[in-house]
Amino acid sequence: MAKLKFVVLWLVVGVPLIWGVSKTLQNALKLFQ
Amino acid sequence: MSTSYPPRTAETSAATGGFLDKSRTVAPHDYNRFLVPPAALAVHLSIGQAYAFSTFNLPLTKLLGITQSTSADWKLEQIGWTFSIAIVFLGASAAVFGRWVEIAGPRKAMFVAASCFGGGFLLGAVGIYLHQLWILFLGYGVLGGCGLGIGYISPVSTLIKWFPDRPGMATGMAIMGFGGGAMIGAPLSIFLMDRFKTASSNGVLEAFVAMGIIYFLYMMIGAFSVRVPPADWKPEGWNPSARPKKLVTNAHVHVNTAWTTRQFWLLWGILCMNVTAGIGVLGQASPMIQEIFTGRVSAATAASFVGLLSLFNMGGRFVWASVSDYIGRRNTYFVFFLLGIALYATVPTLGSLGSIPWFVAAFCVILSMYGGGFATIPAYLRDLFGTMHVGAIHGRLLTAWSTAGVLGPVLVNYIRKFQIDSGVPKAQAYSVTMYIMCGLLVIGLLCNLAVRAVDARHHHSRDA
Repeated sequence: MAKLKFVVLWLVVGVPLIWGVSKTLQNALKLFQ
Repeated sequence: MSTSYPPRTAETSAATGGFLDKSRTVAPHDYNRFLVPPAALAVHLSIGQAYAFSTFNLPLTKLLGITQSTSADWKLEQIGWTFSIAIVFLGASAAVFGRWVEIAGPRKAMFVAASCFGGGFLLGAVGIYLHQLWILFLGYGVLGGCGLGIGYISPVSTLIKWFPDRPGMATGMAIMGFGGGAMIGAPLSIFLMDRFKTASSNGVLEAFVAMGIIYFLYMMIGAFSVRVPPADWKPEGWNPSARPKKLVTNAHVHVNTAWTTRQFWLLWGILCMNVTAGIGVLGQASPMIQEIFTGRVSAATAASFVGLLSLFNMGGRFVWASVSDYIGRRNTYFVFFLLGIALYATVPTLGSLGSIPWFVAAFCVILSMYGGGFATIPAYLRDLFGTMHVGAIHGRLLTAWSTAGVLGPVLVNYIRKFQIDSGVPKAQAYSVTMYIMCGLLVIGLLCNLAVRAVDARHHHSRDA
């Protein structure tokens, strides 16, 4: 149960963060195109 | 890994204030401490949306005209005050409520922060609906700003107590979330405005309501999952007295005493100078790169540059704060100031040489240290003043941020304008600003040089 909680909590914060970072990175890479 | 809590009765609930009370958040000894950083991140990723408020700026000027501004619509310079008010109230509320946050505990503080931040959006939506700017200021600026301040400091001391062996890494992780919040907030607000756009609305009102609810719920995940360690808890195998360090104390300094010490004001100066140097550049990054490299950098490319700076701002928070656990807080700030001075002094040359990649690289490093400065300061405070009141002391120190939030943009904007009015070409109008930033960093360097351990007469016992 504790392991599940660990995974769920990190997914809840990790997924939006990775989504936001990837969006920003996509835009940032235009600088080098 | 079972979780056990003190038995709950009607009497204890009434006495302790129920589920939100600090006593209800005390974790068992075998609790996995890596469950706490996501709680902090949930709050910081939410309140970090403040950095993306500018995505609402233009749509807010078209509330009546929908597709274009009318004479009755709000002006851009009026709307700009919303963010400024929010940042001022961030610093003020962190300073005023810091002590309360320590007493009430992280869960209650996070709940209040979620209510203020989410409520700020909803009250702001009322202001948009009635087209009353003062209600928007009161909602997002004042109420939301209080949510920012309380939310910002609420997990810091908890994380420091859970990670006494790696306080920099722990607080860096949370404060990284504040940098990352804009990266979620900006695309989210654009997505919501597009989704709710109709012939009679540009979607801002509905986006405000949706974001108020989404952020309240997301921050409540943090409030529900946060735990504080038991009073005598320490990481397995960790012995603080095994490797004593000159600037690191195991004693505690009361918040009311801390801010009368020289060390508090030296750290205030360090934070203020480091933030001033970074925040002015961050706010002007887009026009700056376009004007320095006239004709070579488009508005779209400049936006990419700003995005890249945001990434380094965020990454620097975690990386530099983690590095400070190994090289020490004072040495980390020496790196910030010495490297910062060297880079700011080189920027005008890089600009005149027309070297865009090196120019971008220099600012990426500068912005990583700007973020690193924010993330390392709680651990520096913990080293000097102990863990007991670190949240409250951190709250008062954040007034340096509010000061820098005004000072930085004013310095960059006004010096640039003065230069251009004096006939200096736009491409060279930032050179003086860069050298002034060097001067600010020299002041920060001197403050850091003067930091010594807090005198033992300021210490007090744990039960004081």
